[in-house]
Amino acid sequence: MSSMDLIRMGIKNLWRRKLRTFLTVLGVIIGTSSIVVMLSLGFGMQEAFKDLISRMGSLNTINVYKSYGGYGEFPSDRRNKEAKLNEKALINFKSMPHVTAATPIIETYGIIKSGRYTSHTSIKGIDPEAMEHFDFKIAEGRLLQTRDNLNIVFGGGMKYSFYDEKAMSRGQYEEPNIDLMNDRMILTFDMDSGMGPSMPGEKVQGPRYKDYNIKAVGILEEGNWETDWSVYAPMDTVEKMIQEKEKIEASNQGQNKRSQREYERIMIRVDDIKNVEIVQQRIKDDGFEAYSLNDNLKEMNRMTGIIQAVLGGIGAISLLVAAIGITNTMVMSIYERTKEIGIMKVIGASLKDIKKLFLFESAMIGLLGGAMGIIFSYILSFLVNKFSPAFGDFMGVGGEAKISIIPIWLVFAALGFSALIGIISGYYPARRAMNLSALEAIRTE
Amino acid sequence: MNELIVLKNLNKVYRMGDEKIHALKDINLTIDKEEFVCLLGTSGSGKSTLLNMMAGLEKPTKGEIIIEKYHIEKMNEKQLAKFRQLNVGFVFQSYNLIPTLSALENVSLGLTFRGIPRKIRDKMSREMLKAVGLGDRLNHKPAEMSGGQQQRVSIARAFVGKPKIVFADEPTGNLDTKTTIEVMDLITTMAKENRQTLIIVTHDVEISPYGHRVIYLRDGSIEKVIENKIKGGAD
Repeated sequence: MSSMDLIRMGIKNLWRRKLRTFLTVLGVIIGTSSIVVMLSLGFGMQEAFKDLISRMGSLNTINVYKSYGGYGEFPSDRRNKEAKLNEKALINFKSMPHVTAATPIIETYGIIKSGRYTSHTSIKGIDPEAMEHFDFKIAEGRLLQTRDNLNIVFGGGMKYSFYDEKAMSRGQYEEPNIDLMNDRMILTFDMDSGMGPSMPGEKVQGPRYKDYNIKAVGILEEGNWETDWSVYAPMDTVEKMIQEKEKIEASNQGQNKRSQREYERIMIRVDDIKNVEIVQQRIKDDGFEAYSLNDNLKEMNRMTGIIQAVLGGIGAISLLVAAIGITNTMVMSIYERTKEIGIMKVIGASLKDIKKLFLFESAMIGLLGGAMGIIFSYILSFLVNKFSPAFGDFMGVGGEAKISIIPIWLVFAALGFSALIGIISGYYPARRAMNLSALEAIRTE
Repeated sequence: MNELIVLKNLNKVYRMGDEKIHALKDINLTIDKEEFVCLLGTSGSGKSTLLNMMAGLEKPTKGEIIIEKYHIEKMNEKQLAKFRQLNVGFVFQSYNLIPTLSALENVSLGLTFRGIPRKIRDKMSREMLKAVGLGDRLNHKPAEMSGGQQQRVSIARAFVGKPKIVFADEPTGNLDTKTTIEVMDLITTMAKENRQTLIIVTHDVEISPYGHRVIYLRDGSIEKVIENKIKGGAD
């Protein structure tokens, strides 16, 4: 029996029992689309997480902190690894394989004033040479360069951190009308500055802080939580500012020498995401605390994996029911067609022909249901994405990720899987048809 | 004439609960090529069982069935299907047409299983239907035809593949006398034209003259064999 004849005959048989075929197909449609839609929710979640993480910073970056010796660690272990986050450690990190750049991050807090606007901000000192290696996305101007001194780069959200103190004291807030790149700016550590007039009678004269005339050279892109609310300045400049500030506050601990100074944090750039874990482990082995977003990503991927498995499992149940439906339909069909099968066998249908015919019919039901299920899934997915707020909002993290994402491979996987389900469901009935005794079959009325 | 079918010590025992029914007892029979044989007997005489065995639809309990050197009783299902496809045509009492298929499709179904392309098998089937006088009923479903017409479709189906042997199991059982004669004439004429071997099972003595030989069966044994001075064979 040729394949063309087989297909023609199979389709004719399905068409003969339109209603039953349709109902069985409907079961597969529901089964397939429930799996696809459930999985698509998982993919949407994954995307949302990825988006979330990318906002938290770069995946290639490792942040190293001084180890504070957590619980559960033996003191002897600690002593062996006298880990100081100093210049030596920095050089050591830089020489590690896969490390493309390393810079200490020195952080202090200050006030930037520009005309009538004021901003309290975190000032981060960074090695200007290393800056280009980290994923700083510049929106305007340029990154810091080696010879920069009192130049700064604003974080993407800094514009909104400026406020008009007079307007604030009247209880108003207005969008700051400020040109970060061109306006004159002054940086000071005088925390009283801009806090309004102090109480009359109370004449406490604080220390005299120095004012620095700073100049913005660039503004970073908005949307990165790590950089949005900071300004970046060359490390040496920030270090000098801190020293001068401490001198004024008369609390200088005498850590002048650079080689002795310990850093709070060192940021390391790794050449490839794949190598982050290795480098991170090495740093930990050296006795430091090392964090990367990879940790979060891994955890989140594990979580979405579990959620997806659960969702997919729920969907799979309906497909299982659909599969039983196919088997049921095919068995029923064999009961009805017993005589026909007998006749076919008597006039020379081979066992293979009979088996193939029934397998083809059930595979068709599966495939048809799968194809229509995918169309239905796309409609559902579209509706879900259209009529409910983005998943990010739901999670409280913002972002534009869709709730439901159907990757193209899932379409083919679903098609293949539904056809396979059809074949598996049809296997038992097909065998049954094949093994029917021709003689008894033709005797049935 | 040369032998086509040889039956040796054929036995068939059915089990009905605890009871054993000896349907066939030591049947020895030889059927020649192009011979027309009538198996005559009452119901329960074992005539249908004998036919089913020769057609490979039933296995004997004991004995041999040799058709053209091939041992039918030793063939498996797969081989039997192939054997039937190429060598055997069937005419049944109850026509056994597939109700959802047209006359043309019913006739060409066997050819479909042989893998003959649609164009060719449709042409063969159309010609065969014309030959049985149903040239104007090609696309009718079985339900739209009379019993005689349906039986002629089934005859067309049996003969279209030019099988060596045609088995007819009570081919006229459901037909009136006039149609019976028409149908029997049709079967024998066609078998003669195509030089086929014809084996007819019947309980109707009126049919027996169509065979060269009439084999009377009773209680699973051959009671007597009568050679006809031929009606169906001669003309």
